[in-house]
Amino acid sequence: MIEFKNVNKWFGKLHVLNNIDLKIPKGEVLVICGPSGSGKSTLIRCINRLEKIQKGEIIVNKTPVHDKHTNLTKLRAQIGFVFQQFHLYPHMTVLQNVMLAPVNVKKIDKSDAEKIALKKLEKVGLTEKSHAYPAQLSGGQQQRVAIARGLAMSPEIMLFDEPTSALDPEMIGEVLDVMVNLVSEGMTMCVVTHEMGFAKKVADRVLFMDDGKIVEMGTPDAFFDNPKTDRAAEFISKILTH
Amino acid sequence: MLVDFNFRIIFEYLPLFLTGLKSTFLISVVSIILALITGIIACACRISGIKTIKYPAIAYIEIIRSTPLLVQIYFLYFGLPTLGLRVPEIQTGILALMLNSGAYIAEIIRAGINSVDEGQLEAGTSSGLNYFQRMRFIILPQALGVTIPPLLGQNIVLVKDSALLSLISVMELTRCGQTMTSERFMPSEAFFTVAFFYMCIYFCLKAVADWSQRKLIFREAY
Repeated sequence: MIEFKNVNKWFGKLHVLNNIDLKIPKGEVLVICGPSGSGKSTLIRCINRLEKIQKGEIIVNKTPVHDKHTNLTKLRAQIGFVFQQFHLYPHMTVLQNVMLAPVNVKKIDKSDAEKIALKKLEKVGLTEKSHAYPAQLSGGQQQRVAIARGLAMSPEIMLFDEPTSALDPEMIGEVLDVMVNLVSEGMTMCVVTHEMGFAKKVADRVLFMDDGKIVEMGTPDAFFDNPKTDRAAEFISKILTH
Repeated sequence: MLVDFNFRIIFEYLPLFLTGLKSTFLISVVSIILALITGIIACACRISGIKTIKYPAIAYIEIIRSTPLLVQIYFLYFGLPTLGLRVPEIQTGILALMLNSGAYIAEIIRAGINSVDEGQLEAGTSSGLNYFQRMRFIILPQALGVTIPPLLGQNIVLVKDSALLSLISVMELTRCGQTMTSERFMPSEAFFTVAFFYMCIYFCLKAVADWSQRKLIFREAY
């Protein structure tokens, strides 16, 4: 469903993605981890072309993402994206946040879009907050709205860029619960996260990146219990001791 | 000092001041509207990625901001006729105020647009909204709120700057004060009245701005 073919990207002189080859089949849950600056966020931001690449090719659902002639609107409508900092629109209510793209991108009738939005909000457990403004919600609730906003476009793929890193510890659970639910529905997901519990529970594969390269990839059990490379072993020991 | 203050002469000259007030008011309203249009267009060009419109906009904004308004007024007043354009003083004055204020307004709007968090635009982009939809639904509603107070400030500056048009003999409020002074030599009375009328315009503008801010600004509810 998502395929990276020899992808390279530079920020100035910094080689952020170095010969990435990766295939993510439909329905897979891929967890990406690695030290900060290793290129993991950049990797998933390339999938919906929030970032451009200089070399190689990314193919999503047979569509070459970085081709000039690609219909980006159509491509992005299939991919939901959840940010670390939520990025809700502060001047709109929760419901308006979720409805904005379906109404304006998919041109869905307003009343239908509202039904869809309410259904997605129910899925993340926030129906009663639909008329609140983002600033009235806790971080965890805001992130769940952001997930509902992504789901409202009925995407086939959901990308998560450190969805729980900006949250207070007691709110991480509610967001992960929503994500685990999505996994059980068969959503294809790429999740940049250091939540090892989540990775062990639902990931099909864990990908470890360092210095713009894929250092190691394997099942969660194999990766966490028997890392093959020293770099991965060192990383795991560091995140598990805290 | 107040003992010498001659209110009777103010009433005697009231018809003159009222024509001056009307003139200043009209000049200001027309200039503000034109300056807003100029500012929006200049700002759109300024933030555009197309170099052929971006750089002329930067040049315009920087030239205006780096030179005094009075010099710009004289430049147009003496310069346009040499280009063969014979424009009445009042139009020359409006043109100068429009060009001057437009440059500042362009920068005010740009600051408002830049104040919107980049991440929200990325969120809009990822859900498939195009450039104009992101402007329309995400940036402008938020930029408008933070833009109104400085825009009000700029419009007040424009009204007061219109006093400079007295120097190219436009018969506006300040010019009326000068006229009365030269006829009766009572500058205190003349400019007290002039100042009073500028204050009236200021409070009218402020009321409009407060009203529009209540209407337009989004409520970030806490």
